[in-house]
Parts: sequence; C-alpha cells; structure tokens
Amino acid sequence: MTYPEENKPVTVRLEKICLVRGNREGAGVQLLDDVSFSARSGEITAVIGPSGGGKSSLIRLINRLAEPTSGSVYLDARDIVGVEPLQLRRRVALVPQKPFMFEGSVLDNLQRPFVYLQEPPPGPESAEVVSALALARLDRGMVQRDARSLSIGEQQRVALARALITTPSVLLLDEPTSALDRRTADALGATLHEICQSQHLTVIMVTHDLRLAGRVADYCLYLEAGRILEQGSAGELLARPKSPQLRRFLAEPSDQED
Amino acid sequence: MENQGLVTLGLLDLALAYGLVLLAIALARLRRVGQEGQMLWASARMVFQLFAVGYLLHFLFAVKSPLPVLAILLVMGAFSLQVVGARIKRKMPRFYQVVGTSLFIGCGGVTFLFCTLVVHYSPWYDPRYLIPLAGMIIGNSMNGASLAAERLCAEMRERKDEIETALCLGASARQASDTALRNAFRAALMPTVNTMAAMGIVSLPGMMTGQILSGTEPIIAVRYQIAIMCAITGAVAITAYLILMQGYRHYFSKAHQLEMD
Repeated sequence: MTYPEENKPVTVRLEKICLVRGNREGAGVQLLDDVSFSARSGEITAVIGPSGGGKSSLIRLINRLAEPTSGSVYLDARDIVGVEPLQLRRRVALVPQKPFMFEGSVLDNLQRPFVYLQEPPPGPESAEVVSALALARLDRGMVQRDARSLSIGEQQRVALARALITTPSVLLLDEPTSALDRRTADALGATLHEICQSQHLTVIMVTHDLRLAGRVADYCLYLEAGRILEQGSAGELLARPKSPQLRRFLAEPSDQED
Repeated sequence: MENQGLVTLGLLDLALAYGLVLLAIALARLRRVGQEGQMLWASARMVFQLFAVGYLLHFLFAVKSPLPVLAILLVMGAFSLQVVGARIKRKMPRFYQVVGTSLFIGCGGVTFLFCTLVVHYSPWYDPRYLIPLAGMIIGNSMNGASLAAERLCAEMRERKDEIETALCLGASARQASDTALRNAFRAALMPTVNTMAAMGIVSLPGMMTGQILSGTEPIIAVRYQIAIMCAITGAVAITAYLILMQGYRHYFSKAHQLEMD
C-alpha cells in the first residue's frame, strides 16, 4: 500500500462501524452509528465528546475486546477479524480508564504480559523493564513497591508502562487523565506526546479533557450520541468548530468530571 | 444390652424421643421466641420423609435387578441438581447443562470406581451398599457444586476490571480467569477439607457412629469412614473442577471477549 508522501502512514482504519447493544426490553440501543476514521502512526488522535456518547465503546472495538454489530476495523490494512485476538492485543495495547493493578509489586505488574505469553519474565534491571519505566517517566527505584499502594497518578503511569513493555504499535487510552490533577495530567500529556513521536506509535485517546486534546492531539474527532459530527486536525477543529453541537460542547465551562 | 447386636427402637420409644421436639416447641411457645410452627412442620416432614425412604429402601433391597437402583440414583442426582439450582439466585450461563454434566461425571465416576475397586461387594448394584455410598457422595458433591457455581459467578462479576485488564495485556480467557477459578475451587473444597481435618476430634462422623451403634467394630467403621471421606473429597473436587472448567468458558466469546449480560 502506498501513501501520499506528506502523510504519515495510516495504521488503524475504522469503516462504517455500528454498534447496537440489546437492553433488557429487547430493543437495541445504538451506541455507535456509521463511524469511520483513520489514525496514523506517530500521531495522537483524540476522540472527544460528552459522556455516554460511545467513546469508550469505540476504542474497545479496536483491540477486539468487543465486536461491532457491523463495519470493519483494519490494522495495517488487514481486517482485525482475521488476526488471532491474543496476537492482536499484543500489537494494540489498551489502557483502561481505571488502571487496575494486579496484586504484587510494580515489577510483578510489568511482568504480567510475559507471563501470559509464557515467556521468561524480564528482571528489574532488564532492558525491557528499564525502558518501559523510562517511557512512562517512572523512577527505577519504584519497581519493588507494592503497586496497589501507589497514587492514582503513579498507577496510571504503571498501567502505561505495562502496556508499552511489549512494544505495541497502537496505544489506546481511555480517559488517561480523568483521575489526575491538572499538573499531573499535563505531565502525562507531555509523556504521551514524546512516546508517540519516539516510538512511532499510533495513539488513539478518548478524553473529555479538552485541554489535553488541545495540547497533545494531532487529529481530533467529535463523537456525540454515537455519531462522528466532526473530524479534522485538532488545532483546526478545536479553534473553529463548525457544528452547533461541537460549538456548544467547547463552550461548556468544565466537562472534565463525570 | 442383651448379648451384642443392636437394640431395636419400638414405636413407643420413638414417641418418647419425639416428646423432646414437643418439649422444645412448648418452650418456644412459652417464652414467645417463635419458630414453633417451623419446628413442628420440619419435624413432621422429617418423620414422613424418613419413613417413606425407609420403606422404599426396604423394598429396594429385595430387588434383584440393577435398573430400579440406577433409577433411584438418577432421581437423587436430579434432585440434587434442582436443589443447587434453587439455592443459587444469580446463575452462570447454561447453568443446568454445566452443573448437571459435572455432577453426573463427578459423582457417577467416583461412585463407580469406589464401589468396584475399593468396596468389593457383589452384585455391583447391591442397593444396600450402592445407595448409601452414592447418597453420601452425591450429597457432598451437591454442596461443592453449589459453592463452585455461586462463587464463580460472583468472582467473574467482581473481577470484571481485572479480567479485562488481563485480556488487554494479551491473556487468554483461561489466563484472565485464573484468580477467579482458583478462588472458586478453594471455596468449593473448603468445607470438605475442614471436615477431614477436624474428623475424629471435633466430630464423630455420622456414618461411623451409625455403624458403631449397629454393632460394627470401631476399627472397621473407621476404615469405612476413611474410605468414604476420600471418595467424597475426590467427587467434590472433580465435580467442582468440571463446573469451573466448563463454566468460565461461557463467560467468553471465541475471540477471548468477556461477555456479561
């Protein structure tokens, strides 16, 4: 596949994604409706929009934690339905909104992906552990600390390091800063920006933190009630919204907490 | 008293024993603590059910063909499945299929092996041995099955975040459910293991005391008790294991996706 020279290569492409979930009455609730977009390597794509708009449901389709009702997700131009799901999830990492820490130390948590692969887990001084900690801006002395005793901000970073340790090519983030104060959130945003560039990662980030989106995102989608109402370069979209919905959303004073 | 043998209980003796229940009911009534209705009803049920089963066994012991005996065992098994089903409010997907096959294989297999390899008697279907032995195995497996099924369901719900995080890190459905399965298996075996550990010190088991009361040498009764406890442990473990190994799969799709509700 060839790409125009000025663009970075498309790694993830969603085409006409619909997601309907049956509710208790048997009627379907449409969570996503005809969603199509592309995400490029070395870029951060932010998915913004009000709560309940289908943002979290959307990224769960990209590492196949869930299945769309119709439509396709492509990774490097290949439909992910044809990729073995466990292989896929090693290439497409997802960091959920609430970082779950497994019992044990930070090191135990970082070793998890290798345990699942049935590979010998890397030690505390190994290149994998050292570089994952560095990418997530975590202190090396932290490896032996009890993961569950860390602050939420630190846990968020451990979750990031744990996702990056198997060198995925796509990183999905669900509200990475929702539990963080502004300073920590800014620091994490800067970290993400650097990782994305240095590792040629494709980052897709769901957030309703407009500040974060404005600071780090290259591309931006506005999702409301399951539909993409607007998409384009982040600077353009946030500065000159076209649809009345996005204009209203951007004008709301602070929609940062759920 | 007379010679050795056992002392038979006459109906008058039974009536006297029942007087103890009436005493308890009178006490409950006098002190207004309630429960007398339930006590009366439960004691009446006990008398009726036990006499019914006694006569059933009496006739069954005279039978010289395996079919009625096997039919009784199947009814016992089906009843235990129904008890487990009624006891659990929140059921795992395909509950009856999973628990039913597990009980059938776990109890059936262990009972068969136990009766043919350990307790040598003939014919193999002799109801005098097969029914009480299978009854003990089924009864205990029923408790184990209900604990395993209930705990698995609770664990899968409580550990949703943990399981999805593991899946995101490349775990298979089996790997992601590991902690849940471990906890459920432990919960299922706990009562049996505790009973074994406390046996002889905290309690004298029912079967052994029964045999001793009816004139069996204590050492022989002890051997029987040890053997049946081993069979029970085996059956509980196998039943619980089968429930868990089939059960967790129904929470996942083929693509290792957690599916709930």
